[in-house]
Amino acid sequence: MPIGVDEWVAQHTDRRDAGTGWRRLMYTLDARVGWWPRLALAVLAGLIFGQLSLSSNIQQVAINSLIYAILALGLNIAVGWAGQLDLGYVAFFGFGAYGYAVLSSGTTHWAAIVSIPVVFGAAAIFGTLVGLVSLRVSGDYLAIVTLFVGQAFMEVVNNVDTGKLGGVNGLFGLDPIHSFGAQITTLKGYFYFALVVLAVLIGLLHLLDNSRTGRAWRAVREDELAAEAMTIPTGALKIMAIGFAAAVGAIAGTVFAAQQDNVFPTNFTANILILIYACLVLGGAGSIAGAVLGGIVVTVGQQMVSSPADAGYLFYGLILLGLVAKVRPWRTLAAVLAGTVVLGVALHAIVGAISSSATAGSPGSAGWIGHVVSHWVIVPKNAVGYGNVLYIALIVLVFAVTRVRDSWRPYLLVPTLYVAACCWESRLIVNPSITAQILIGAILIATMIARPQGLLGTMRVEVV
Amino acid sequence: MKVRLTLVAVALTALVAAGCGSSSNSSSSSAPAATSSSAAAAGTSSASAGKSCKAAIAIEGPFTGPVAQVGLEQLHFAQLAVQMDNKANGTDVTMAQDDTQLTPSLATQKTQAIISSDAVAAVGPAGSQEVEAVGPLFGRAGLAFITGSATLPALTTDGKNPTFLRVVPNDNIQGPQDANYVINHLHPKAVLVIDDDEAYSQGLVKTMIPIFQKAGIKVNHQTINGTDTGATLANAINSLVTSKLTADETVTMLPWQAAANAQQFGLAAQQQHKKTILFGTDGTNSPSQFKIPGTYVSNFGPDISASSSALDKSLVSGVAQFGPYGAFGVPTYEATDVEMKAIASVCKSGGTPSRANVLAAIRKTNIAPAANPLGVQVAFKSNGDIVGQPGYLFKIESGGKYVTIPNK
Amino acid sequence: MHELIQTIINGLTTGFLYALIALGYSLVYGVLKLLNFAHGDVYMVGAYIGYFVIQWFGGPTALSIPVPLLVAIMFVVAGLGTGVLGVLIERFAYRPLRDAPRIAPLITALGVSFILENSVLLLFGGFTKSYSTNSFISFSSGIHIGDVNIDSVQITIFVVSIAMMFALMRLVDRTTLGKSMRAVASDREAAEMLGINVDRVISYTFFIGSAMAGVAGVMSGLAFNQISATIGFLAGLKAFTAAVVGGIGSIPGAVIGGLFIGLCEAFAASYISSKYTDLIVFGILIVTMLVRPTGIFGRPALQKV
Repeated sequence: MPIGVDEWVAQHTDRRDAGTGWRRLMYTLDARVGWWPRLALAVLAGLIFGQLSLSSNIQQVAINSLIYAILALGLNIAVGWAGQLDLGYVAFFGFGAYGYAVLSSGTTHWAAIVSIPVVFGAAAIFGTLVGLVSLRVSGDYLAIVTLFVGQAFMEVVNNVDTGKLGGVNGLFGLDPIHSFGAQITTLKGYFYFALVVLAVLIGLLHLLDNSRTGRAWRAVREDELAAEAMTIPTGALKIMAIGFAAAVGAIAGTVFAAQQDNVFPTNFTANILILIYACLVLGGAGSIAGAVLGGIVVTVGQQMVSSPADAGYLFYGLILLGLVAKVRPWRTLAAVLAGTVVLGVALHAIVGAISSSATAGSPGSAGWIGHVVSHWVIVPKNAVGYGNVLYIALIVLVFAVTRVRDSWRPYLLVPTLYVAACCWESRLIVNPSITAQILIGAILIATMIARPQGLLGTMRVEVV
Repeated sequence: MKVRLTLVAVALTALVAAGCGSSSNSSSSSAPAATSSSAAAAGTSSASAGKSCKAAIAIEGPFTGPVAQVGLEQLHFAQLAVQMDNKANGTDVTMAQDDTQLTPSLATQKTQAIISSDAVAAVGPAGSQEVEAVGPLFGRAGLAFITGSATLPALTTDGKNPTFLRVVPNDNIQGPQDANYVINHLHPKAVLVIDDDEAYSQGLVKTMIPIFQKAGIKVNHQTINGTDTGATLANAINSLVTSKLTADETVTMLPWQAAANAQQFGLAAQQQHKKTILFGTDGTNSPSQFKIPGTYVSNFGPDISASSSALDKSLVSGVAQFGPYGAFGVPTYEATDVEMKAIASVCKSGGTPSRANVLAAIRKTNIAPAANPLGVQVAFKSNGDIVGQPGYLFKIESGGKYVTIPNK
Repeated sequence: MHELIQTIINGLTTGFLYALIALGYSLVYGVLKLLNFAHGDVYMVGAYIGYFVIQWFGGPTALSIPVPLLVAIMFVVAGLGTGVLGVLIERFAYRPLRDAPRIAPLITALGVSFILENSVLLLFGGFTKSYSTNSFISFSSGIHIGDVNIDSVQITIFVVSIAMMFALMRLVDRTTLGKSMRAVASDREAAEMLGINVDRVISYTFFIGSAMAGVAGVMSGLAFNQISATIGFLAGLKAFTAAVVGGIGSIPGAVIGGLFIGLCEAFAASYISSKYTDLIVFGILIVTMLVRPTGIFGRPALQKV
């Protein structure tokens, strides 16, 4: 029963409190526990994680997650809180990295305790200058101007003063983070360092969010004109938001540069900007916890899809998850799954009997998945062309499944699932890198449709 | 409703658990694609010795993103090398793929994945900046990595990449060779040198310009943005041809990575009726893409499509299913081949193919010119550079046919 | 002098392509206030469709039909194909998010872009494909005055682009569909209350915008030969820039914006510095935006209180 959107949102708390069982418990806990115990708990979890003996790969993923979480936090100030579409954000990330590279190594060798605050301040000034533009242009026009700033930054480090900035060959062999004679050289060390930086930033930003400034930002985001009418200095607030975002982005840059041990222009391209936006929006723009979660989820997800074994779990797992969540009642779900298994076994037998070469290939998955599906999916010897046809068929079928009448859907689901499995085993897993990108695209679309406000974001009414 | 939610939660947990479980084992080694599983089958069947020689290697390259063309070509040739050498040497080597998109920070992440896996050697990465980023990591892990395309001279001289090797000569070899050929044979009054704003191109340009200037030839140095594509790139090229290519510049040097871009330049000159002889470096060597008649193109290896050797023929037929190829595949084939042969030799001498053993065997590599598609002796100096200095020069005849000519 | 004219022609050739893609951006933005970042990849798909049409009719050196007919078929097939693709993209990636926060469809657009680009990479490989236009349309055809060369592909681009732009303007100004598009653009809810089928109007808008991008893709292949799976990203970025600089949502604005950027690029590369072309172009555009904060043709937005 659709009621007015605004009322619906207003009644949100009532509906939530009326819940029962564990959901109500969660909400009560959510309401009772303050922000700092939660932060402490998260940091504790991080510290425990750091104590585990993990491979350098997982440690690197963990560090990258934290860096992207910091980046998303910074972007959240401009985009999530103040509502300024800042597409030049990646330039501040790069600015921080290059700032650290120039100040803390090469000929200067400043201690991190000096160089990081200097970079922080310089980035804030740089960001404020870029933010000045927001006085003149706004909305999507601001987006395009900031985009130019980001692109121009790339061009500058590529071409200007290549002696000092390294040009396309970048700067490498940087100093590790060092102060008072101590230095951080291990991955574990950088993990703790990034964790501390993140925790401090979360604390500060939480205070900022609940301050007059934070409330004023939200007012500007919701309705700039109304905010101005309430004597809120909207211009100064917008500049501040972009400046603060820049400073936080630059902090991420310093940690990144020190940990990577090098800086290159190609580390700060539009692709990275896209990734940071994905972190923020997927996690939930406007929410600190959302930004952090987004950074972690996107980085870990990216790592999972690009490893063929994990990608297999993700692919089959997400399909099962989608089925469980969407197909009802129980009997239909069971029938669909059973039908798919039977269809596969039957088709495999029939095709194998007609032509043994048509089933001569082996499934691309390794381990138990490959073992389980080997007598089920049809994989011919040279599967490239066959796999391409299946891929197109799969896309058509997926479109069809979402469009047909409800009563037909289970019947169509059976061949769709089977084609998906065959296509995965014969073509997609064979080119894991390309498949990873396709999967990321599909997951982005599915997640946004399932939760438009992001994982931890709150739905709000937009005044258009 | 509640049951369903619980079920979703359980499924999610299972999913995460499955993912974590497999990542903590080893993340990228369990990647036997179609080629490696069939290769494994071939290995066991033809293994003459009782025990099979099992090992894993990994390849880093830009398999997606703007330069996917280069990366996919390298990947296909490397897969072919694994398949052919497994069969020939009776080994059971699998190869994991790690996509770097030519981004150093991604290469760092993938390198950590390779180091954490059971890979004993790596092929790639493709770009010089990536090598700068990952060289120290590979060095600390004692893991050999051989590139087929990173040509920046400093990579082998600055001492930061102790386990780095390459099967291609560095820019200090190719640049002067090409410049001297132009001076001695084409006698231009002035040359137009265009770099494409990338490390490969800038490195070559840096070596060429002083040689031209010393010979009294005027150099007109221009830049395009090599990461541009389509209409934007064409606009830049057309404008350069219009206003920077004058009648004096009878030779134009194109030290570019993309053969298609060089073709674009040639077509733009034709369209605007400007006469200049084009001279491309190895990156532009692609008979199916760069075919402006009268052009000179240098390369590290001979043209395998015209070769009569059995090895070259099997290479050509092996990658035919992936479509045409350019200049990046053959060196990467050879880089992979070196690692495969090293693993086989370790096994043959009774050792286990560990990282240290394979690295030592790779350093001892000595493959005769006839036994590899580069046509030179493949052996390494102590700094990782290749001993042989292959330098081939082709002239493109009408119809786009590449004809080998002497390069001196 | 001939250099100046030739540079203008170079700039216009690229500029018209930007303009055609920008029109799609602007149309979609007008009705949905959505930045369709997948638009550049639709253009790329159009270029691929054109390539396969050439192959279908025997390949560039052995065409089985006359060249003008081939070019016409390429435009029509690519336009229809990408038009349908655009409608599907809207139906599956944008419609479910119509009432979501404005930033959400931005992410699904990126998802669509990832899928399109990498599907083409998966299906057709990474190797750059070439139209080989000069083997069926000679460079010597066209107009040649002194050192100024305009070949027939460029003439085709100019004529077809201008024709399409006028057709689009007439469609938006004079037809019922155009009226409904304008109604939806100015107030979607009010338009719905007046009995306009908003979903259908949006589908038509996507069809038209994407078809124009598809035609632009074919033109790009004809004029510049090389196509690959990755040409969409940059073209989309440039077209987005063109649409915004011209005044987003405005049809003449998109055209002027596209031509302006094309000419800026050509002049910067020809006359100022090939090394700093991009920086110069960004500089010009930033200044333009500061002087006219809502684009060249944009009107200052009226704020509803």
